[in-house]
Amino acid sequence: MATVKTIAIVGATENIGSAIARILAKLNYRLLLMSGDQAKLKALKEELEKLEPKAGIDIVGCAKEASWEADIIIIATPYEAHKEVAEKIQEVATGKIVISVSNPINSNYGRVVPSANTSAAEELQKMLPYSKVVKTFNTQLASKYISAAFSDQTRDVFIAGNNSDAVTTVFELLHVAGFHPIISGDLSVSRTLERLQLSIQNQMPGAL
Amino acid sequence: MHEQLIKSIQDKITLSPEEIEKVKHFYIPKKIRKRQYLLNAGDVCQYIAFVEKGLLRSFTVDNDGGEHVIQFALEGWLIGDMSSFLSGDEATYNIEALEDAELLLLSKPSMEDMLHTVPKMETYFRILMQNHIVALNRRVISSMSDTAEQKYLKLMNNCPGIVNRASQQNIASFLGITPETLSRIRKQVAQK
Repeated sequence: MATVKTIAIVGATENIGSAIARILAKLNYRLLLMSGDQAKLKALKEELEKLEPKAGIDIVGCAKEASWEADIIIIATPYEAHKEVAEKIQEVATGKIVISVSNPINSNYGRVVPSANTSAAEELQKMLPYSKVVKTFNTQLASKYISAAFSDQTRDVFIAGNNSDAVTTVFELLHVAGFHPIISGDLSVSRTLERLQLSIQNQMPGAL
Repeated sequence: MHEQLIKSIQDKITLSPEEIEKVKHFYIPKKIRKRQYLLNAGDVCQYIAFVEKGLLRSFTVDNDGGEHVIQFALEGWLIGDMSSFLSGDEATYNIEALEDAELLLLSKPSMEDMLHTVPKMETYFRILMQNHIVALNRRVISSMSDTAEQKYLKLMNNCPGIVNRASQQNIASFLGITPETLSRIRKQVAQK
């Protein structure tokens, strides 16, 4: 039995969360799925196990437990829930890679980051000072990521982060998943990546 | 989550609350489940693990597939493949959780950082290394010169937790005897 890396997805039943779960279930990772919506979560687990019978997938009841067991933590909850999640996982996320995939929009798709001098990822890094926050998977719609991962087409995925080892690990993960990862710079580049997504979304209202 | 670690440190050196906070942030909290592996032989041992909760074993596998238990670790102990951790060479040990475990992982770069930031921790690690050398010497000598019964009694006196929690198979392997011999010794000891 090999040492398999464990990835927790907090907010696994969100659009982007379940898309990432589908992509990672194909690979050699153990997945811990966490979400407030138990019924949806159970359905997602069953769906993933049908698609990938060999995948190791577990449901974990709370964000702290999932993050404690994980090597890499993906936060797919809406930006507005980041603070609450960060408080729960802060202690157990020390030294770990935390992937921020959310954009600073609220449930009505309005912008919620107050200042132009920051981003959702940088705010998350402030709340998790001992973790290695990496921004990725935020510039496309969830469905686009899935269609890329399950076909021959390769799709560019941008990565931003301050810790080079963490960025390299995420690069390799995306590469193995069949994407074309592009390292864009340090975490402050998230401002551009997040606004890029907002402008794409503004051109396609209702597409989310 | 860091109770055992802080106790282990405060038993050996005195740190201020601020220093303890600093030290905590160099360790990665990690839970693993029973039968999961922390390290596979052939990989590089990236972390030494301090055990907050649970029981683990390190073991080698010989050419015939036979397992040899090198070490057990329970609450308050460290486990890792030290030569691989220090040299960066491939590990010869496998490390497996025998119970669900809560660990605090320390990488080599984090360890170096920590020793710079909190130099008192040098003393802590020196004492750990001393204890490790003493234990290693005792184990080598015991395995060469003690009878099976003496080996078992020593383990029972020094580490009753391991005798109570590990399987017969693993204890026998650790002592370098067959499970049948262990079972016979246990009966004899119980009758005395």
